[in-house]
Amino acid sequence: MSNSNAGETVVVVRDVCKEFHREKLTIPVLSGINLQLSEGDYLALMGPSGSGKTTLLNLIAGLDRPTSGDVVVCGQNLGQSSEGELAKWRSRHVGFIFQMYNLIPVLTAYENVELPLTLTSLSRRQRDDHVKAALEVVGLQDRMDHYPRQLSGGQEQRVAIARAIVTDPTLLVADEPTGDLDARSATEILELMHRLNTEFRKTIVMVTHDPNAADRARRILHLEKGLLVSEVVESRTKKAVQ
Amino acid sequence: MIPAKYNLRNLRVRWMTTLLTVVSTGLVVWASVLCFGLTDGLQYALKVTGHELDLIVLRKGATDEISSGIEQKVAREIASLPGIAKDEQGQPQCSVEFVTILTKPRRNNGGTVNLIVRGLESVGRTLRPGFRIVEGRDIEPGKFEAMTSRSMAARFENLAIGEKMEVNRQYFEIVGYYEAAGSAAESEVWTDLRDLTIARKTPAAVSAVCLRAESPEQRDALVALLADDKRFKLNAIRETKYFEDQMNQANAIQYIGYIIAGFLIFGAMFAAANTMYAAVASRAREIGTLRALGFPQGSILLSFLFESVVLCSLGGLIGCLATLPFNGLSTGTANQFSEITFSFRFGPRVLAQGVMLALVMGVLGGLLPAIRAVRLNIITALRER
Repeated sequence: MSNSNAGETVVVVRDVCKEFHREKLTIPVLSGINLQLSEGDYLALMGPSGSGKTTLLNLIAGLDRPTSGDVVVCGQNLGQSSEGELAKWRSRHVGFIFQMYNLIPVLTAYENVELPLTLTSLSRRQRDDHVKAALEVVGLQDRMDHYPRQLSGGQEQRVAIARAIVTDPTLLVADEPTGDLDARSATEILELMHRLNTEFRKTIVMVTHDPNAADRARRILHLEKGLLVSEVVESRTKKAVQ
Repeated sequence: MIPAKYNLRNLRVRWMTTLLTVVSTGLVVWASVLCFGLTDGLQYALKVTGHELDLIVLRKGATDEISSGIEQKVAREIASLPGIAKDEQGQPQCSVEFVTILTKPRRNNGGTVNLIVRGLESVGRTLRPGFRIVEGRDIEPGKFEAMTSRSMAARFENLAIGEKMEVNRQYFEIVGYYEAAGSAAESEVWTDLRDLTIARKTPAAVSAVCLRAESPEQRDALVALLADDKRFKLNAIRETKYFEDQMNQANAIQYIGYIIAGFLIFGAMFAAANTMYAAVASRAREIGTLRALGFPQGSILLSFLFESVVLCSLGGLIGCLATLPFNGLSTGTANQFSEITFSFRFGPRVLAQGVMLALVMGVLGGLLPAIRAVRLNIITALRER
């Protein structure tokens, strides 16, 4: 698979297979996946339910390990890392955007955004600067004392994005980031993600069913039954992959 | 580390389950601390009674004052032995005492129990720790008067000031209440030695001689002298040892208390564990999110343990505070022969035991749910609704 960008390589997925075991059954989810992403890439993973796109996203995000093959992200071979090493690595290199926002309901917007920073050695003042800057990027500096239940879905997702970028990670992974939003909020979120990609050079990997959301990406990969079946790049030129 | 406010606010949000767990933990700590305070009070009453330099002289073979009998003439000779401490007037601190047991009714139809009545002379008062008259007056010899402690007056019929206690159809008027630093002496009725032996029709015999030695060396020498002298045929026991043996009662209560506390703790731990299991189940997605953000498994474990400990500590604190109204409250229990009164004691040690109990419940009750939280698969947890 070609590298569409001239920046530093951030993600390398090499001959990756993933199987799940349920009782005595072995269920193959991904087979022979190869992929490379450079800094500033914006990739949309598409495909029907069960095609393995979320599994691939989880592997790239360091939430899971491949059955075989290598997943090297930001220089770390994730398949060979321990649970503790992966946790530390995620806190430094990955920002997560979830479909259901996954904010902590008992913490305010400010505290939710501050959460990943408590894993760093930053002082309280430095954390404060980072949190306010992140909330400003998503346009919610006036809602920092609100609890998630006091925010709309779109606002919650913007807080989640602020939490994802507050540590300035190299990679943002988004699993159906607009899946639970109305059209207007979805557009706002997609514009914000586009801005993070173009203005802040964040590498983004997004799983989506929504063609409109996928259209915002620089590259679109289609998966079916665990195989990469096609890729669309910015020029909208389709080419066979496997 | 996961901020403590995450756990504290979750406890507040789930206030109903928090309240129920705090109440159940609090009740367990309250009951346990009451039991510990009871034991401590009884042990204190017996311990404070014994003085390092004091000896109790009994008939050879007797193990206590009740079963002991000494000829009064022989008992008086002991006062002249060397090594006995002298009071300010130069009199030897050696008290000839007669102890008898009467079966007397408790107030409020509490049945009848044994009551220790002690006949002694004025020197006997100096051998009791912190002896002082707190109401009424001291007895006058020859007038068949008696005195006791306030707690005994409250527990037994006919022991209040102005009332009359009957001994072999001889009536002793209660003229005063005394205190003796919460010692076992407060579980007795005191009267004049001669008056009591007359009433009991045993004028020639006494039960024991209590004395204070000048020094530990003299005390040991007196023990040896009394044991070896064929003329006396007596056995001198160190008072501390004497009351240590009596303390078996307190130890039995303590062990029973520990067993009961153990069962209660087990139950309360289930309550805490149940609450924490529910917390883990309802916050699976939050746990998954925290793990995804990079919080290590150790942080998750500590976070949920902390929450459980806070939960139980709150209960423990309330339980300990709820025992304080009982502090100093008098109660009683059957001793080897009679009833001994003592006060609940909730000192720092007993309260610390209560707090420790709460912490142990928090840690043990929270451990398995916390381990469950740690073992949650991140991806599965993130899918939870």
